[in-house]
Amino acid sequence: MGRLVFAGAMSHVLDPDYYDRACGAVGRQKVTDAMAAIARMGERFSATRADALVVVADDHLNAFSFTCVPAMCVRIGRRVQRMVQDHAEAFDKVLDHMPVTYPLHEELASAILEQGLGAGFDLALSWEAPVDHAFLSPVNTMHGPRPIPPLVPIWINCFVAPQPTARRCFALGQHIARVVAKSPWNVGIIATGGLSHFPELALSRVGETDVVFDRKLIHWMERGEHAPLLDLSADELHKSGSHEFLNWMVLLGAVTPARAEVRYFGELPRINLAAVEWQLP
Amino acid sequence: MSRYAVNSLLYRLKKDPDYRARFMADPGAALADADLTDAERAAFVARDMRTINELGGYLHLVMSIPGLAAH
Repeated sequence: MGRLVFAGAMSHVLDPDYYDRACGAVGRQKVTDAMAAIARMGERFSATRADALVVVADDHLNAFSFTCVPAMCVRIGRRVQRMVQDHAEAFDKVLDHMPVTYPLHEELASAILEQGLGAGFDLALSWEAPVDHAFLSPVNTMHGPRPIPPLVPIWINCFVAPQPTARRCFALGQHIARVVAKSPWNVGIIATGGLSHFPELALSRVGETDVVFDRKLIHWMERGEHAPLLDLSADELHKSGSHEFLNWMVLLGAVTPARAEVRYFGELPRINLAAVEWQLP
Repeated sequence: MSRYAVNSLLYRLKKDPDYRARFMADPGAALADADLTDAERAAFVARDMRTINELGGYLHLVMSIPGLAAH
């Protein structure tokens, strides 16, 4: 019988040069501190010797074109490639130094997909979509030079309206936990992105965050009170710049009612950097 | 406002280096067949990413197109 052996969530642009350009020396310092906390989380994850790592993250209009924008998508297959962008700028540039190919846990991904369809989750699937910084920046920061276990990338559409609801993302997490419990594997799960940044996805508001909103989210997660989070609306998430909290909702569904422990929270003008870990039974 | 046209054009500019080079050399010619309003076309010709964002262009695209990105 399988079980979840690790759960963590963290910001996903983890690059000192990026934050130096965006926020100056304080940005470099805070993301360096956040990365150190995430690296320690990675050491604890590696110590579990998990069979797989589920990574719940979002696409930044990189993997999926406007041909199709899936609400929720499971990456199947045996390997996944990192996104390649010529003359990469901004958050895309974070990928430049990272390994190109990563193993996938094909059986767990297929189980989540197939049992999901059977249970009423009309999940999209992809054999080919590459993964961008939302997946690879946390995964590489967690592992450093250590081997990365087979991944199960799952995309949540956080940015292209209409997005899936917070409640539905939570339900997907509950589904993942059920699949893991019936499986023979020990599994880690991380959710990435956030916390508050880019309110209303307006260029004119880049540099604003909503600290009050983020502290409210953290309060509920620390107490293991997930019911209020189920009612978060698309409008609230859009206005506060918490679009990517939908990824975190999936993780919360998988671990509920476990309580969160904050490993790092740092306010910057551009984003509130965060790293959170759950104490699992 | 043709939100789809704006975003599909942004996506093409990000992912298609040949098209991007044509756009850089002569924006008006590169946009000749694009289904844009006059305001949208003017914003692209001016490489005015803030206005393109206000017209519905997704933030992550306007922040990451090589050579055109707003920061």
